[in-house]
Amino acid sequence: MTIAKPLASGAKAPGAFLEQAAGLALIAAPMALLITLILLPTVAMIWGTLQVPSDSGAQFGLGRYQAFFADAYSMANLRYTLFQTLASCATALTLSLGIALYLRFSEGRIATMIHALSLFPLFVPSVVISYALVRFLGPNGLLQLLLEQVGFTHYRTPYLTPVGPYIAFVWENLPLPVLVLGAGLSQVSDHAIEAARDLGAKAPRILVEILLPQVRRSLLIAFALIFLGVIGSFTVPYLLGPPAPEMLGVFMQRTLGNLRRPEEAQVQAVMLMLMASVVSGFYIATMLQSERGRR
Amino acid sequence: MLNVTQLTKIFGQTKAVSDATFEVGLGELICLLGPSGCGKSTLLRMIAGLTPADGGQIAIDGQDMTARQANRRPTAMVFQSHALWNHMSVAQNVSFGLRVQGLPKAVIADKVAAALTLVGLDGFAKRRPTELSGGQAQRVALARCLVVEPKVLLMDEPFSALDAHLRANLREELKSLQRRLQLTTIFVTHDQEEAMELADRIVVMHAGVIEQIGPPGELYLNPQTLTVARFIGQMNEATVTLCGGRADWLGQPVSIAAPDGLVTLLCRPEDMHPGSAGIPGRIARVIDLGPMLRVSVATAEGATLTWLCSRDVNPQPGAAIRLRATRLLAFHDGRRIGGRRIGTAQPLMELRQMESVTP
Amino acid sequence: MSFLRRAPLGGILLLSVMAVLMVGPILTVVVWAFAEKWRYPNLLPTVWGLKYWYVMLGRDTVINPIVTSIALTTVATSLAALICWPAAYAFARLRFPGRQVFLFSFVAAQAVPKFALFVSIAVVFLRLDLIGTFWGVVFVQMLSAMLVMIWIPAAAFRGIPPALEEAGFDLGASRLRVFLLITLPQAMPALAASYVLAYVGILFEVDSALLIGAPQITTMPLVLLSSASQVIVQEAAVLCVMIWVPCFAVLLLTRRFMSSKGIAQGFGA
Repeated sequence: MTIAKPLASGAKAPGAFLEQAAGLALIAAPMALLITLILLPTVAMIWGTLQVPSDSGAQFGLGRYQAFFADAYSMANLRYTLFQTLASCATALTLSLGIALYLRFSEGRIATMIHALSLFPLFVPSVVISYALVRFLGPNGLLQLLLEQVGFTHYRTPYLTPVGPYIAFVWENLPLPVLVLGAGLSQVSDHAIEAARDLGAKAPRILVEILLPQVRRSLLIAFALIFLGVIGSFTVPYLLGPPAPEMLGVFMQRTLGNLRRPEEAQVQAVMLMLMASVVSGFYIATMLQSERGRR
Repeated sequence: MLNVTQLTKIFGQTKAVSDATFEVGLGELICLLGPSGCGKSTLLRMIAGLTPADGGQIAIDGQDMTARQANRRPTAMVFQSHALWNHMSVAQNVSFGLRVQGLPKAVIADKVAAALTLVGLDGFAKRRPTELSGGQAQRVALARCLVVEPKVLLMDEPFSALDAHLRANLREELKSLQRRLQLTTIFVTHDQEEAMELADRIVVMHAGVIEQIGPPGELYLNPQTLTVARFIGQMNEATVTLCGGRADWLGQPVSIAAPDGLVTLLCRPEDMHPGSAGIPGRIARVIDLGPMLRVSVATAEGATLTWLCSRDVNPQPGAAIRLRATRLLAFHDGRRIGGRRIGTAQPLMELRQMESVTP
Repeated sequence: MSFLRRAPLGGILLLSVMAVLMVGPILTVVVWAFAEKWRYPNLLPTVWGLKYWYVMLGRDTVINPIVTSIALTTVATSLAALICWPAAYAFARLRFPGRQVFLFSFVAAQAVPKFALFVSIAVVFLRLDLIGTFWGVVFVQMLSAMLVMIWIPAAAFRGIPPALEEAGFDLGASRLRVFLLITLPQAMPALAASYVLAYVGILFEVDSALLIGAPQITTMPLVLLSSASQVIVQEAAVLCVMIWVPCFAVLLLTRRFMSSKGIAQGFGA
């Protein structure tokens, strides 16, 4: 019986090589899609916005951006977008936190129904809820009818005001944080809370010192996701929002689709990405952290 | 039938299995026995081909299997978690290996029925795995392996998730089935009782290394290393310091031909006998095991000796007693250096001998 | 938090408010879909009927976009499944160089506001003459499906005990056969759920259809968008109920196969 020499530490058995090749082959198609549709166009777009037309042909420069910053209308849209996004995020998060906390500490049929209701928007597409809110919140809509039944006749519709999209954004973005925060809160055991109560802590203190730190990460991820979803939104502000100022999504669509000015639309898109970049970068960093922790 | 030579597996910096070498004869059932983490499952998986080896050779029936993938080896494995597919019926589970081979439907149906009868599950063909109890599921898993007529059957702690009574029954059935079919089997377990009951020979492993291979009786009577001695059965243990070939064990002088230093002495509870000469002590506890009594004796020096005796001795707690060791095993540095049955002139080992001097 | 338990009244209050606010808007639409005449200040329609259903179903400018939508969505979702599910398996079970990096790029792609991405793609497509083409829209819609089609299936594949696949391999099956006969059936409920989720998402997508498809390709959500501001309220309402309610029903059915924890984990919770 020959005694086989142990394989050199650097060599890999043929099975391992096949596995590596197979793995790379299987992910090739989606990765290709990712590169050709996301990476390359984005790079091309950023490159394109840095080309300033001049007499001697296109030159490298920030001219387009200067034009953007100089345009009062564009800046108004920018500010409005940021403000609307932050306001909706804050409200959605606060309400979701409240619901998530309630669900954490309650049982029974009422809690189950509230849970189901809070997840309902997951199944409703943007365009459907925008239209529905027009009919619900709009002039002579159902809300007005209901309020008049109870004697309230001074209803002013939020339709075509900034409040309209605000309500829609909050509505749409309730489920995700409820899910994410719910997962985070369920990791805090009942015992940990009972121990705190046993030591005399009251509800607000328990909230701030025990619960919130545990869900800090979930809160931040939920915030990032809502922020990124709302900031580039089109359908909601299109159907419910005022004609001016516009959110950047509507502005971009009008610039590209109606006004047919692709270069300007690109600058607007890059501005949108820049605005989101703080949150994007932070979301990526947090996910990286969790991946490292998991390994 | 199966030859394993210098099989090695390295995970990062640790050697999970180190140069394992042994052979299994046709129709033999050997057990890989050891505590968790000793490498027995890894060794089994390397034989199956599910874990690639980092060195060494595996040969089955004279053919080298080392480079072959698991699905080309004439082995079949029963997993700890039965691993039945719950989207298939019992019959579909059992027939899987045959369907892969492309056998005709009628042949498959016959073989499946025969396999189910073998494991005592007649008429279970249409059932689903979710409807089965733990024991039934493992029987199906076994049938699934038997039906492909492997040359070597591999079993990875298949009964550890079942309750003790069921385990004992399945053990019996497995042994008689295996004998009847003359099926070469490798059985991994951490339960020494199970190994003693099932195995023709036991391979004791510890920290990736094979410590000893032998029939159960041999391992019990003649452990070659401290690990094997402690793992199988119970032991009274004492570490004494040899000085000039002599040492004192709880008042009983002992002479061993070995270099000065620490020597571990082991004595089985059933090899202790009461007498007028021997280690003085007081009976602390009597545990009634049913067929025997296990007595804890506290010695004058503060040590506790365990003594196994029959019921008619009738030991009383609190009574004074003197115990003599009639069979001692000596270990130095983990390895056996000598042993002596007191009362006969025959040493058990050719290596350095040890005498127990009775005053 | 016993004060909450001691006050079921608070719970009932919360429930009622939520019921009105969450379901109210949708309810309005549903009522409108079956109303032939509903004039303010009546709380309910004065005349009920299916008149506008016949109107919408008889109109080419409604039926054609619906057909287009279904064709686009089916192709896009199925193609996405075809390329993403094997990739999900690779991410879940195989080791290969750069695995973490590639997996991570999907997370990074999620972090960019989608509308900006669509604009950048639209500009590129403009130059390539892909605006307004069927396949142009399909490829962009595949992007939206990709995250769902990789995350949920990968979690499903990871959840299958390795022993199940090893047992099949051990009994002589090739790796492909193990995947087809064992892995795929085991993961099928989650795969089906991800398909449905992606399908509904793409079916109702407005942003990409508007930027890439218009004007030659008109999809159903675009019709919904334009009829939302029409005088005849019922038209959009009928469209909603006709298309969305069945989707909602199917989504509810598949929700069984997707745990909340799984979805939350997919987003990094």
